[in-house]
Amino acid sequence: MGAIQVTDGDSGLRARLRQRFREFVNRRIPPARSVTLDQKRIFIFPSRVGFFFILCLMLMLMTAINYENNLSFALTFLLATLFVVAVLHTYANLSGLTIHAVRASAAFPGQQSEFEILLERSRRREHFALYMRWPDSSESLVNLIDEDSVSVSLHLPVGERGWYSPGRLRLESTYPLGLLRCWTWIDLDLHALVYPRPLASPELPGLASDHPDGTVLPTPGSDDFYGFRDYRAGDSLRHVHWKGLAKGQSLQSKQYAAYADRSVWLDWDMFPGVGMEARLSHLCFWALAFDRANQEYGLRLPGSSIAPGWGERHREEVLKRLAIYERANPHD
Amino acid sequence: MIDKLIPRNALAWIILGLFTLVAPHAGRLPLWVLVVYVVAALWRIQVYRGRWSFPGRWVKVALTVSACVGIFASYGSLIGLEPTVALLLTAFGLKLTELVSKKDAYVLIFLGYFICITEFLFSQDILIVLYSLFNVVLITSALVALHQPGQQRFSMRPLKRATVMLAQAFPLMVVLFFLFPRIGPLWTVPVKSHSAKTGVSDFLKPGDISNLSQSADVAFRVKFEGEIPPASELYWRGLVMSKLEEGAWRTLGFFDVPAKERRQAAVENIGEPLRYSVLMEPTQQRWLYGLRYASSPSPGVIKTPDYRLFTLVQLEDEYQYDVETWPATALETELTPWREKTELDLPEAAGNPQTRRLARELRTGVGSDEEFVRSVMGYFTEQPFFYTLQPPLLGEDPMDEFLFQTRRGFCEHYAYAFVMMMRAAGVPARIVAGYMGGEVNPVNRTVIVHQFDAHAWAEVWLEGQGWVRADPTAAVAPDRIEYGLEVAMEEEGSFLSSSPLSPLRYRGINWLNSARLRYDALTYQWQAWVVNFNSDQQYKLLSDVFGEVSARKFVAVLLGTWALVLLPVGLSLLLRRPIHRLSLPDKHYLRFCDRLASMGMVRDPGEAPGDFARRAIRKFPSLEKEVIDITNRYQGLAYLPEQSAGMDATSRTAELGRSVRKFQFARP
Repeated sequence: MGAIQVTDGDSGLRARLRQRFREFVNRRIPPARSVTLDQKRIFIFPSRVGFFFILCLMLMLMTAINYENNLSFALTFLLATLFVVAVLHTYANLSGLTIHAVRASAAFPGQQSEFEILLERSRRREHFALYMRWPDSSESLVNLIDEDSVSVSLHLPVGERGWYSPGRLRLESTYPLGLLRCWTWIDLDLHALVYPRPLASPELPGLASDHPDGTVLPTPGSDDFYGFRDYRAGDSLRHVHWKGLAKGQSLQSKQYAAYADRSVWLDWDMFPGVGMEARLSHLCFWALAFDRANQEYGLRLPGSSIAPGWGERHREEVLKRLAIYERANPHD
Repeated sequence: MIDKLIPRNALAWIILGLFTLVAPHAGRLPLWVLVVYVVAALWRIQVYRGRWSFPGRWVKVALTVSACVGIFASYGSLIGLEPTVALLLTAFGLKLTELVSKKDAYVLIFLGYFICITEFLFSQDILIVLYSLFNVVLITSALVALHQPGQQRFSMRPLKRATVMLAQAFPLMVVLFFLFPRIGPLWTVPVKSHSAKTGVSDFLKPGDISNLSQSADVAFRVKFEGEIPPASELYWRGLVMSKLEEGAWRTLGFFDVPAKERRQAAVENIGEPLRYSVLMEPTQQRWLYGLRYASSPSPGVIKTPDYRLFTLVQLEDEYQYDVETWPATALETELTPWREKTELDLPEAAGNPQTRRLARELRTGVGSDEEFVRSVMGYFTEQPFFYTLQPPLLGEDPMDEFLFQTRRGFCEHYAYAFVMMMRAAGVPARIVAGYMGGEVNPVNRTVIVHQFDAHAWAEVWLEGQGWVRADPTAAVAPDRIEYGLEVAMEEEGSFLSSSPLSPLRYRGINWLNSARLRYDALTYQWQAWVVNFNSDQQYKLLSDVFGEVSARKFVAVLLGTWALVLLPVGLSLLLRRPIHRLSLPDKHYLRFCDRLASMGMVRDPGEAPGDFARRAIRKFPSLEKEVIDITNRYQGLAYLPEQSAGMDATSRTAELGRSVRKFQFARP
């Protein structure tokens, strides 16, 4: 993963050339968590305005030649050499910048995910008009004048369930004169998690209850007192046995137990005869439904399960498990 | 796209550049163009302040059409240099009122550069060029400001960047300027239509030269190869006037001269020539100036039968030519019958009977033409004639009035009377107009000839000697010939009386005078090397510097000098001081980590050196000693830099460096 893939269907020479070019870029700029721009990664070419400027220079040169006016020659040459010097300045505006992948928020399909990156300069130079965007994302234009780094958030709609790769980030600048465009494509190792699309099913068929006999299972978040155990990081402060602590005992948490049949297991097998994606979508729907109702729920997928629980962290864990089910890890 | 907005700072710079751009053109433009310009700028400022809105589409169309009509009405044409410039400036002003997006700003800025160029078509004076350079800096600042997004308040930041970039481009421009081949014009272009002809004109009536003598402008500058001849010998011949018509002396037109008389008669040069080059200010005329007898090796300079120099085209710009002069050469010892008749012609209609009578009387009293010349000169000396810049106006028979009543005149009065008397007595004579004398600039040994050095004198033809110079002014005011006009007019106080601010009036003030002369020397260099730089000079310069001129050398020199400038520029741009500087021990340690990484042992980000060392040793037990040694040394330096067994940090760092270097060859 990480390399640009040819997704468009057009065939023929153009597609092959495009493919070649992508392979070239992939070789030259491999994906990474943070990328520092150097001559290997920066491309530079006259912008549209630059070509217009060249046209104007031609006109000025014609004036100088036809009037045999030496100062007109001089000014034309000054502007022409300014163009040459601008190559260095435009290049320097991107060179030495480091782009760090910070984080990408998880989202449901069709929603916008927020991609956060950090732009950092490595040398004491002012950088202006750094324009960046992913192919489908919102745009951002930032300067690095007094501060050494700036954080940039770009929003883009994510695709289907799994790990979403936004493609290559385009970072470009035409500073200082606008006559040259300096740009780079960076494949940041930054992926957004896309949850399954929640899909309602009429009712939850065959509410799975593993222990109809009412076996007691200690589950956090229940309300019947069950016993003490040593405090573990993450235990709620509400459950700390403060009285014991006051008596000089070690820090202990109160354990509450719930009868397992009071918690719901969302099970892979609940939806026989339904396709994988639809199954995950139903599970997702119900997970969200239970979450809203503040009811405990667990998840059982082929090969893995999450014990029943509740709360935001639990929901994210469940959704993530659903999202990455049979999806390749982007780092592999 | 967010990139399309114009930062407010850029707008401020554009409006600033707008006003500085129009300033040097202001004198040449009709007033209403300036009004349009100011109104447009004010409009945009009001839009900028949020008071007004942009003009509507039909308003814009109406403005554009009426501007074109107005320019046509003012100039009578849309073609020509002045109307074109007026059109450009009006377009610049009007474009400002619709400056909304970045695209408009680019159009405005490039138009601004072009307006700078048009200024040079009118003047290439140093001060104008410096001012234009200032304009270019401003416009470039506007261009830079356009690419600094989010700068909503006026700031000088863009100025600095623009200045730095232009300063870096400047040496490259100089190289290109001298190397770029100068080819002739590709097609004819509209020329200046309204510039006045300056300098001595081709006809002369009493009062003309005294008018010209009020001007302190420079006519031309001369650089002699050897010694500069004394001022009294510097008679710069420009025009020869042989025809008296309607009270004015005129030059012979092309068709006044029969075809076989149009070639200059052969001369026999005597002695070594004086060599000098003349750099003329534009005159819009075609004649050139030289000392008698002048011949020019410069291409495009023609010799006339009356021994003057000429060009084929009007002098629209500064013009430089070389001259060789043989002062002792006799001119036209044999007169052709046509020439004799022409130079003796004195039509009855020219009047002045008293003058003619006086001439005939004086002639009968002497034995030869030569003595006659002397006696006429003597007449001017003996009679109470007065040399003045403010001669009285003369009536129907001007010379009769001048010789017998007013007796106050400037050089042209004396030359007029003298030639008239010569011709009346049967001696071939004619008027010569040009300049006399000049100021020697001690800074660069050039002779500066001003308009107030304009002079008219006479030539008489004497048997066996040919044409001989006769200057009746010398008989009346010898100071004019010896010391120049300022001294001659000391008593009258009329020297440059109409230009009180001319620095030439303050030659007595030392520092001012030396500043003026230095500036003039600079102007000479400027005109000779920059304004007048042409393909001949280019060839000479290149062959002087590089020997043989070849295309390969051309390219090599261009690329070589450019690299010389661009490399340091690039390095200074890219090698700024890094923000995070690694200490030397850190660098050594990272090299050690790199070496391990190349063996397949990668240190995790943030992994402590001790942990990494344990992992490394587990993987490569054979390297245990080295890894522990380097890690301990590094940790010692990193955490306890000051204390160790009798060794200071520098030598401990060196030890670490040595161990790491050795480790580069270690194998598991």
